[in-house]
Amino acid sequence: MGSLSTTRVLLIGLIAVALAAFLPLGVSGYILGLLTIAFYFGVFAMAWDLLFGFAGEVNFGPTFLIGTGAYTAGILDNLYQPPIWLCVAAGALAAVAGGVVLALPALRVRGPYFGLTTLVAVLMLQNFVVVDASLTGGEIGLTVPDVITISDAKNYQIALWFMAISGAILFALSRSPVGLILQASGQDAVQAGALGFNVTKHKLTAFVISAFFSGLAGALLVFYLGSASVGTFIDITVGVQIIIAVVIGGRRTILGAVLGSIFIIAMSEALRPVGDLANFIVFAMALVVVLFFPNGFFGLLTRSKETS
Amino acid sequence: MLFWQILIDGFAISSLYALGATGFALIFGVSGVLNLSHGALMVAAVVAAWAAGNDLHVGPYAGAMIGIAVGFVASMITYFLIVRPLQQSRKIREQEKEIFILTATLLWGIMLQELIAYFYTNNAKTVAPIVEGVVRIVGVRTPANEIFTAVVCWLVIGILWLLVNRTRAGKAVLAASMNPRGVTLLGVELSQVYIAVWAIYGVLVGVAGVLLGMFLGVSSYSVGPLTASAFSIVVLGGLGSVSGALIAAYVVGYLETLTAYLISPAYRTIPALLLLVVVMYVSPRGLLGRR
Amino acid sequence: MRKLDKRAIIAAGATGLALVLTAPGYAADTIKIGVIAEAQAVAASSIPLAAQLAADEINAAGGVDGKKIEIVSYDNHSSAAESVRAFQRAVNEDHVNAVIASYISEVVLALEPWTGRLKTVMVTPGAASDVITQNIAKDYDNLKYTFHGYLTSTSIADSVCAPAKDLLVDQLHMKTAVVMSEDAAWTTPLDAEYIKCLPTIGLQVIDHIRVSPDTTDFTPIFNKIEGEKPDVIITGIAHVGVQPTVQWKQQEVPIPMFGISAQATNSSFWNDTNGAVEGVLYQAVSGPGVAVTPKTLPFVAAFKAKYGNFPSYCGYTAYDEVYYLAEAFKRAGSTDSDKLVDALEKTDYVGTIGRVQFKGKDSPNPHALKVGPDTITGLMLQWQDGKQTNLWPANVANGKLKFPKFIKVGAAN
Repeated sequence: MGSLSTTRVLLIGLIAVALAAFLPLGVSGYILGLLTIAFYFGVFAMAWDLLFGFAGEVNFGPTFLIGTGAYTAGILDNLYQPPIWLCVAAGALAAVAGGVVLALPALRVRGPYFGLTTLVAVLMLQNFVVVDASLTGGEIGLTVPDVITISDAKNYQIALWFMAISGAILFALSRSPVGLILQASGQDAVQAGALGFNVTKHKLTAFVISAFFSGLAGALLVFYLGSASVGTFIDITVGVQIIIAVVIGGRRTILGAVLGSIFIIAMSEALRPVGDLANFIVFAMALVVVLFFPNGFFGLLTRSKETS
Repeated sequence: MLFWQILIDGFAISSLYALGATGFALIFGVSGVLNLSHGALMVAAVVAAWAAGNDLHVGPYAGAMIGIAVGFVASMITYFLIVRPLQQSRKIREQEKEIFILTATLLWGIMLQELIAYFYTNNAKTVAPIVEGVVRIVGVRTPANEIFTAVVCWLVIGILWLLVNRTRAGKAVLAASMNPRGVTLLGVELSQVYIAVWAIYGVLVGVAGVLLGMFLGVSSYSVGPLTASAFSIVVLGGLGSVSGALIAAYVVGYLETLTAYLISPAYRTIPALLLLVVVMYVSPRGLLGRR
Repeated sequence: MRKLDKRAIIAAGATGLALVLTAPGYAADTIKIGVIAEAQAVAASSIPLAAQLAADEINAAGGVDGKKIEIVSYDNHSSAAESVRAFQRAVNEDHVNAVIASYISEVVLALEPWTGRLKTVMVTPGAASDVITQNIAKDYDNLKYTFHGYLTSTSIADSVCAPAKDLLVDQLHMKTAVVMSEDAAWTTPLDAEYIKCLPTIGLQVIDHIRVSPDTTDFTPIFNKIEGEKPDVIITGIAHVGVQPTVQWKQQEVPIPMFGISAQATNSSFWNDTNGAVEGVLYQAVSGPGVAVTPKTLPFVAAFKAKYGNFPSYCGYTAYDEVYYLAEAFKRAGSTDSDKLVDALEKTDYVGTIGRVQFKGKDSPNPHALKVGPDTITGLMLQWQDGKQTNLWPANVANGKLKFPKFIKVGAAN
C-alpha cells in the first residue's frame, strides 16, 4: 500500500466506486440494503482507523461518537421535525462536541487508561439513553417519523457516495503531513514531541475529524433505518464489530476498513441460516484473524513488511 | 433503619465486587493482561451452575462446584488459546501486543456471551442458594444468603492472601508481579507462574460468579457491565494493586448502594462512573496504584 | 499496480461469494407469512413455533383454497432496528404476504410506519401499548395495515382490576396497594389505567414505582415498598421477571404480588426461579388445563406433542393469528394488502384465548381486540406447588388462593 501514490489509490478507488454505482441495475433491493448498511459501517470503521491506526489510541468508544450523532439527529426529528439535513448536521456537530469532551480527559492519559475512559464514555451514554427513556426511547429504541427515502436504489447511492467521499478525505488525510505526524505520534509520542510536533494538538484534531465522520454517518444511518436503538448504535458489541472490521481489513490503511466492513456484514447475512450462531461465528473468525493474521486482508495480500 | 439496611446490603455487594476485582487485578498485576472477557467468564460459571441444577438436578453444593470448575476451565482456555499465543506471537510488535490482547479478550468475551444466549436464552438465571431463609441483624431482615456471600468472599480473599504471602509459590507470584525478569534469574519458571495465576483467577471468577448467581442472578446481558465494573474498580484502586482494588470495590459498592437507596435504583451505576472519570483526570494512578 | 489488482479482485470475489450465498429462492402459489420474533426470549420463542404448527394444520386440511401457507422466520434479537431490517427483507426479498411481529411494544411501534410505507399487513401477537392502535386512528389510510392481536395495556389493566375485586377486596378485604411496574412503553397506559380502576374497586393506590428494565438489584425497591406497608403489590413487569421474583422470595417480602408478570406465564418459570415464584398471582390469557374455548386445550396438546414444552402466551395468539389470517385471505380471495385489510376487519373467529373481533375504523383504538365477557376476558392464575392454578373467573377456576408462609395476609386459605 505504501508503494502506491495517493493519487493512484484515489483513482482506483474512484473507478471501484463508479462500478459499484451501477450495481442497482442488476442486484436485488435486499442486497442493496445490505450494502447500504455496510457502507455506513465502513465510514464508522474508517473514522476509527484514523484514531486507532494512526493516532495509536486503542479506544472502545467509536459508538460514543456514533451514538451521540445518531441520537441527537433522531431526537431532534422526533421533537421538532425539522428538515432531515438539519438533523443530520446537528448530529454531526453533537458528535464533534462529544469528541472534544471525550478527548480532554482521554488525552491526558495513555494506554489502558485511555481505553477505559472511552469505555466509560460509552457506558455513560448507554446509561443516559436507557434511563431517560421518554426522550430517547430507552432500551428498545427510538422511532423517527422521517426517512430519507424508501427507495433501495437511492439509499444505496447516498450511502455509496457518502462513503466514497469520506473515504477519499480520510485517506488523503492519512497520507498528508498531518497524517504522517499522527502516525509518528502514535508509534512514538516522545520522539514526535522531541521533533517539535505538538502531539496533543494533532491527536485532538484526529479526534475531531473521527467524531465528525462518525456522527455524520450515524445520523444518516438513523434516517435510513427510520429508528435508533442502543443495540444498533451504542452497544459495545457494535464497537467491537467496528474494531474487527478494521483489524480484518488491515489497520492503518483506512481503505481496508471498508473491505472489512463489507466482509463482516456480508458474512453475518450469509450465515443467517445458522440462526443465532451467526454472530458467534463472525466473531470467532475475527478472533482467528487477530491471532494468526494480525495485519488483516491488506497485510496478507501485500505481505506487508512489518517487522516485529 | 435505612442506615443499617444500606450498610448491610452495601457490604454484601461490595464483597462480591471485591472478589471479582481481586482476580482481575491479580491477572493484570502479574501477567500484565487486562482481561476483557472477565464478565463473560463469571456469567459462564453462573450459567453452568444453573444448568447443572436445572438439567442434571444436582443439589446447590454440587451445582456451585460445577460452576466454579467451569470458571476455572474457561479461564484456562482464555489463557492458553488466546492470551498466551498473542503474548508469544512474533507477528505483532511489542508495543501493539497490549492492544491485540485487549481486542482479542473483548472478542472472546462477546463470543461467550453469544454462545450463552444461544443455548440458554438471554433471560436472567439464578442459582439455587446454598443457604436459605432470613436472619435479623439490628432489626433488619436480611436474607441469610447475603451473609453467606460476604463470608465466603472474605474467606476466599483470606486464603488468597495466605497463599501469596505465606507460601513459596505465592511469593514467587508476588515477586513476578514486581519484576518478571528478576524472578527468572532466581530460577523461577515464569510460564509456570503465569499458569498458576490464571488458575487462581479461574477459581476466583468461578466463586464470584456462583455467589452472584445466588444473590442477584445474571443474564447474558450482564457480561458487559460486569467487566466494566471490575475494570473500573481496578483502575480506581490503581492498576496492579490488589489491596487498592479491595478498597475501591467497597467504595464503588457503597456508592452504588447509596445511590440505589437514596436517589433511585435506575441511576445506580452513574456515580461510580463519574468518580472513575474524576479520579482518572486528577490522579491517573488511582488510589494506590503502582503502575 | 498488479498487487492492488489482485487485492481488489480477491476482495471483490470474497464479498461477491458471500452475497451470492444470501440469494434466496422463492416459490409461487404459496401464501407466505413472515414471523419476526425474539427467538432468544423465553416468551417470544413460542411465536414462530406456534405459527408453524398452525400452518402445518391448515396445510394438512388442504391449505387456503389449495394454496399452502409457508412461514418464514426472522430473529430480531429484541432490537427495533433489526426488526425493521427483517421487515424490509421479508417484504422486498422474500415477498411475504403478511407479517406476524414481536411481543415488544417498542418493536411494533418501530415497524408500524413501515407497514404503511411497504403496504404490508402486520399483526402483533404480544405487544400491549395502546399507542399502536391510537396511531392508526390518527393516520388510518397509512397505518391501517397494522392489527393489534393482543390486549392493549388499558384492557389488560382492566382485566387485572376485575379479579382484584373478587379475590383481593371481596375475599381478603385488602385496602391499599402499591403499583410497581417496569419503565417501558407498554406500562405507561397500564399504570394510568391501574391508577384509575383500582380505587373504583376499593384499593387505594398509595405509591406508584417505575423500575428501570435493566435493574438487577431490587432490594432497595422492595425495601421502599415494605416501608409503605401496602396490602398488595400490583405489578406490571415483563422484561424483568426472574430477578425481582427470586429476590422477593429471598428477602421474604411479606406482601403478595398480583398483576402482570409476563414471564410467570411460562411453564418453565418455576425452574427459572428455583420455586421462588410460589404464591405469585399473574394475569394471563391462558393456563394449563383451562379450557377458555374448545380450541384451547387441543392447541396446547398439539404444541406439547410437537415441541416438547408448553407454549407461552404469545404462542396462543400467534397460532390464532395464522388461522384468522388464512380465513381473511380466503375471504379476500386475493393476497392484495388492501383487500386483506378489509377482510381482516371483518374477523369473527373463536380462537384459543377467546373470540377475536377487531374494533372498527371509528373507534379511538382501531384494529384493537374487543374485550368483554363475549369476547376476551383473561384469567388470573397463581403458582402453587410448582403448578399454575387458575383462580378466576370462577367458572373456570381450579384452585383457591394460597400464600407462602412469609406473606402476611388475612384469610388466605
